[in-house]
Amino acid sequence: MKINVIGIPVQDQDKALKFYTETLGFVEKRDIPLAEGNRWLTVVAKEEQDGPELLLEPSPTSFEPARVYQKALYDAGIPYTQFSVDNVQEEYERLSRLGVEFSMKPTEMGTTKIAVFDDTCGNKMQIVEML
Amino acid sequence: MTCYQNEIDRIRENCYSNELQIATIIQTRQFIINNFDKKLNLDLLSRRQHISKFHLLRLFKRYYGLTIRQYLIETRLEKSKEFLANGMSVTETCFAVGYESPGSFSTLFKSRTGFTPSIFKNSNFR
Repeated sequence: MKINVIGIPVQDQDKALKFYTETLGFVEKRDIPLAEGNRWLTVVAKEEQDGPELLLEPSPTSFEPARVYQKALYDAGIPYTQFSVDNVQEEYERLSRLGVEFSMKPTEMGTTKIAVFDDTCGNKMQIVEML
Repeated sequence: MTCYQNEIDRIRENCYSNELQIATIIQTRQFIINNFDKKLNLDLLSRRQHISKFHLLRLFKRYYGLTIRQYLIETRLEKSKEFLANGMSVTETCFAVGYESPGSFSTLFKSRTGFTPSIFKNSNFR
C-alpha cells in the first residue's frame, strides 16, 4: 500500500489549477473529465514529479458537509494541509509579491519555521521549513 | 488573531520554551547535513554539543520525531538519489554519501525506495 494522492477541497477547479500552478509553482499532472463538469485534477511538486499528487477536489460545491468543514477550518485559521519549503522567509516574500495573503507571517516553532496563507480556493495552507 | 495562531502560541510555550535545548538539536541536525558523507557517530555528535549521548538521543527524537540514525540514513538516501540522478555510478554514490559497502548500500536503498540504485539511476535517464 502506498500514499500516492492527497486531496484538498477547492471551490473552483479552474481557479485552483491556476493558483496552484502559476502562483505556487506546482505542475499539472492529471486532468480527467468526470460527471457534471467535475475533473480528477492533480498537481505535483516541480522537483518531485513522480512524488505524491495533490488532488484538487470540488467537494465543497457538491457535498454540503465538505463545504461546512472547509469553512469551519478556514474561519479558525487552521491550515487544511502543509507543504515543505527550503526557506519559509523567502517563500513568504515571493508569494507576498504575487499578492498572496498570509494569516500567519513566518514564525519559529521549535525546530521548524511556519507560515500560513490563503489559497483563494477556500483553504488556509501552511508552509514549513525544518530548521 | 486566529484560533490557530492562539493554539500555535500555546504549543510553543508548552513544548518549545527551552531555547538552548532547541538550538543544540538544530546545530546537531545542521552538522549531520554538512557532514553526512563522513563517519559520524553518537560519541562525536554528543562531544560537539557537550551533552551526554543518551540525552542527545532523547532530545533529537523528541524534537524531530526520528532517531539520529534514522535521520542520517534519510539524509544519505536523499543525497544518493540526487547523485544517481546526476549520473554518478552506484559505487561512487555509495562512497560519496558515507557508506563503505556497495552491497549494503544497495540493500538499504532498495528497502527504502523499492528500487535498486541501478534501476533508480537508469529510470532517471529514460
